[in-house]
Amino acid sequence: MSSVLLSVRDLSVTHGSGTRAVPLVHSVNFDLARGQILSIVGESGSGKSMTSKALMGLLPPNVTATGEAQFRGANLLDKNIAPPRGTGIGLIFQEPMTALTPVLTIGMQLTEAMVVHGLADARDAKARAIQMLERVGIPNPKQRMTQYPHELSGGMRQRVMIAMMMLLEPDILIADEPTTALDVTVQAQILDLLRDIVRDTDVGLILITHDMGVVAEMAEDVMVMKAGRVVEAGSVHQIFQAPGDAYTRALLDAVPSVETASVDSKPTDSQALLSIRHLSKTFSGGRAFGIAASVTRAVDDVSLDIMPGETLALVGESGSGKSTLGRILARLTKADKGNVTLAGTDLLSLEGAPLRQERRKIQMIFQDPYASLDPRQSVGAAIAEPIKIQTTLSKADRAKRVAQLLSRVGLTPDMASRFPHEFSGGQRQRVSIARAIAAGPELIIADEPTSALDVSIQAQILDLLSDLKSENGLTMLFISHDLAVVRQVADRIAVMRAGRILEFGPTEAVWASPRHPYTKALIDAAPVPDPSRKRSARAHALDTFPMTPLIEAAPGHWVAL
Amino acid sequence: MGILSDVPTRSAPHGFWRRLLRSPNGVVGLTIVLGLVFCAMFAEVLAPHNPSKMGTGGRFLPPGGDFFLGTDEFGRDMLSRILHGSRITLLVGAVAVGISLTTGMLVGMIAAFWRGWVEAVLMRSTDVLFSFTETLIALSFVAVLGPSLQNAVIAVGVAGIPFYARTCYSAALVETSKPYFEASIAAGAGPARLVFVHLLPNVLPTMIVVATLGVSTAILAAAGLSFLGLGAQPPTSEWGYMLAGSRDYINRAPWLMTIPGLAIAITVLGFNLLGDGLRTSLDPVERR
Amino acid sequence: MWRFIGTRVAMGALTIWVTTMLVTLLIHAVPGDPVQIMYAQSQGTTPEQIEQVRRSLGLDRSIPVQYLMYLERLFQGDLGNTIRGGQPVLEVIMQRLPNTLVLAVASMFIAIVIGVPIGFLAAYREGTIVDIGLMVLAIAGISMPHFWLGLMLLFFFALELGWLPVSGNGPMNLILPALTLGLSNAAIFARLTRSSMIDVMNQDFVQTAFAKGLPKAIVLRRHVLRAGLLPVVTMMGLQFAFMMGGAIVVENIFSWNGVGRMAVEAIFQRDYPIIQGFILTFSVVVVVVAIAVDALYAVLDPRIRRA
Repeated sequence: MSSVLLSVRDLSVTHGSGTRAVPLVHSVNFDLARGQILSIVGESGSGKSMTSKALMGLLPPNVTATGEAQFRGANLLDKNIAPPRGTGIGLIFQEPMTALTPVLTIGMQLTEAMVVHGLADARDAKARAIQMLERVGIPNPKQRMTQYPHELSGGMRQRVMIAMMMLLEPDILIADEPTTALDVTVQAQILDLLRDIVRDTDVGLILITHDMGVVAEMAEDVMVMKAGRVVEAGSVHQIFQAPGDAYTRALLDAVPSVETASVDSKPTDSQALLSIRHLSKTFSGGRAFGIAASVTRAVDDVSLDIMPGETLALVGESGSGKSTLGRILARLTKADKGNVTLAGTDLLSLEGAPLRQERRKIQMIFQDPYASLDPRQSVGAAIAEPIKIQTTLSKADRAKRVAQLLSRVGLTPDMASRFPHEFSGGQRQRVSIARAIAAGPELIIADEPTSALDVSIQAQILDLLSDLKSENGLTMLFISHDLAVVRQVADRIAVMRAGRILEFGPTEAVWASPRHPYTKALIDAAPVPDPSRKRSARAHALDTFPMTPLIEAAPGHWVAL
Repeated sequence: MGILSDVPTRSAPHGFWRRLLRSPNGVVGLTIVLGLVFCAMFAEVLAPHNPSKMGTGGRFLPPGGDFFLGTDEFGRDMLSRILHGSRITLLVGAVAVGISLTTGMLVGMIAAFWRGWVEAVLMRSTDVLFSFTETLIALSFVAVLGPSLQNAVIAVGVAGIPFYARTCYSAALVETSKPYFEASIAAGAGPARLVFVHLLPNVLPTMIVVATLGVSTAILAAAGLSFLGLGAQPPTSEWGYMLAGSRDYINRAPWLMTIPGLAIAITVLGFNLLGDGLRTSLDPVERR
Repeated sequence: MWRFIGTRVAMGALTIWVTTMLVTLLIHAVPGDPVQIMYAQSQGTTPEQIEQVRRSLGLDRSIPVQYLMYLERLFQGDLGNTIRGGQPVLEVIMQRLPNTLVLAVASMFIAIVIGVPIGFLAAYREGTIVDIGLMVLAIAGISMPHFWLGLMLLFFFALELGWLPVSGNGPMNLILPALTLGLSNAAIFARLTRSSMIDVMNQDFVQTAFAKGLPKAIVLRRHVLRAGLLPVVTMMGLQFAFMMGGAIVVENIFSWNGVGRMAVEAIFQRDYPIIQGFILTFSVVVVVVAIAVDALYAVLDPRIRRA
């Protein structure tokens, strides 16, 4: 490496002190050069964020760092030296929605540090800020300067964040999961922007992520961390092609490959299990005196059939209405218009006791494993609940059934008496699955069931779901934002945006020959975990897409064009 | 795969007593409250004199000697009056909070559970009553019912309803929107099961904290009414009323003012500290 | 923003409307004959006189008619006459209301000036002995009955030291009652400010500000303080209502000639027209202050101002 910027040796981070000290990061070594992109990869609790905070001198109280981090001829970990925050090292956070001060204008937040560091006077700073906003791809930069963070979208805020840090002309930029909270298409744009900035300014970038796809796309060098230790480090090609450590291999294996299709589509000429016809739902925001201020069409004239035994995936970005659709089917949200029939029964007109009985047939699995179990109910009671409500089984029989279910989802029967807080996120999601299948439903609606989990756990849960599907012939509506995951589990895919279905058909057909520009943009934006397929600039996502009624473009493949 | 990150979280409501006993606020609060309960239960035995017997040993005797806390303008033993007053104070707190808590929880849970127009009607009326402020509601009640300790307690209890209803409503709303609650709906659970198996046990901890802190508010409010002469009537050994009487002898016998005031302050402090301790031990995420 | 304020104004109007109804009903909720009770304390009232009062109060009509009559008089600025002395209630209240408002505003000022800096300091030194000490002080302050605090202040400053007058209505007389109410509420402001500041200090945007290399003083002043004081501002409306309520007690201790003292006397004398007028006035003041505070909040928070 030429011109090494930062040289980290034996960096350790410890929480607490003395006998109660808990090591968070253990003896990390790496170098970073100008223009280099180094990726630190790991799951939650791996110590990857603590490493960056140690370099910034932003560790929480009671947490200390030891070792050496040479930067501009000084040790960053030396407590007696003021850390070169901003001007030396810039930091970009994960959550753009909360990372900007809500009560100050964008302009104020962009310029204040320049003035404080003496890089520019107020007028000069303003001019530079406008220039930089333009550079990071924000339209109408002059006008943005006077706006507040809440008036900008998540992607825009992340651009502002990048602009804010780059204005201070740092040598190193640390980006801590900068795209995790963003939609796929926006993520792709932000990654492109970061790459351009590294190329143009020769800044050294430390990219912290859990996503192997992002690593493959961005990084030249990779450092894999687990439980505070570096388990493997090397060039991105070396890590992806010949991972030396078992954990790296496990991480790579866990990534749903977009290259291999695991699902064989079944013939779908049987009678539909569930038919949705012209379903619509609008939400009105900010009602005052009975007049709605704004109306969102969450679901807009959707028609769809789910065949028995299939997994239909509903794919879309946030705000596409995919979850609302799922919730309407589970009768958790009321629809405005349209019909839903489940095996001949009109689902939406049921009320009271008949509805409660019919509910047995449709069960849900939710995203957040921490909130989907009642903290004051034992896991056994949670799983037994649908059985108790929907069947006449005796107490002993119920207990037997719960034991079976626990074993079925990969837990042990003795866990029935424990409470949710004694379980990990992955285990809780298994319990939720056991509860969902307990009373023998005909359709399972899984709303982002793996999004809140680490990749390796994700893979296990997906495996469990596909096992259940093949063994019990479950029908599933799988709601997700992640095309790679969807491709692994779904027989058919429906792509949703702004409440409408833009394309739907067999998974492979949609994947191999997407017909709608939005589907193409989604597939194009998804990071591919293969460093050899590094792309140049993408065609940037359009703002408007055709949203006409669906027409059958190929047998079973419908497009709104 | 041994994935270290996928470990259970520790928190949750378990180990609650251990956490309560580890918080200094909780321990001090619990001690004070238990001490008060003890005084109230054994006031007959503990009190050296009859609290309403006049002229036992002379008027305005300063604290010390035979009369540990002195005597008042009628020669009644202050210690005995304070001890007997603790019964009234605790009873006032318990009854007033009982009224606010039960009614407030009923309103709050019904509104959060049934939503729609029921929610609109209940919560808008609660908002209106809330902006009325507790003082005004209590005062209006006393104005109508007439001054007496019993009426003061009812007034304070009713005045607290809007606050408890609001708190319970927002706590219940959080729970009903959680996936576990929706999973139970999706499993076909009826209203009784949803309310008693899921909603109530999850709302209760919040309400226990609110009620504990509420006891101190209620005691203060009722003592305030008695202080104004709108609550306890003579010869009750009510602390607020005793304090009101002390004003006329403030120069001659300042202990008539300091002692009942201190008694109220310590009681209220006890419930405040206990409530604080309960809050931190029920919700470990929150900082001190 | 205008919609936000509009909603608050509508809510306030609803509150006042409900108050007018409750006030009319109030007199009927009194157990027994209200007119009898009112005059029970004055000797030598003949049945004819009582019948006449009953008629003049409209108590011989149906309740809806009484309510309409009450509203009609209300719009003419007529709140009826007092039972004792027969003065117009509005006049009696307006004579004393300024005193109560002066007391409440002065107390509010004391509470904020003392409470907010203490809360800020405690948050800034979170977890240290300073923080713990200040918070112990605050919880003790909250637990202290203000009527007791008032008596103690009276005892020490007026009687023992003789620095301040015991009672009356001059500017010097304002000091003790305002201090009594202000100190009690300063503790509430201190706790609120502290928890709000600590909340804000743990937000991502504060980390961002530090990551830019801003000095701590600027981060605190510009980023933390502005965001952290917003919840404190929202609480001001409610606090003012507390002050108004607390004023009732404090006015009685210091013989401060405000509406609170008037109301308590009226309750003893069963002077229902005054009580009705007091309740209505009180709720109008509280509603108006609440709307003003909400408007202030709307101006301070860009998320509402620019919505």
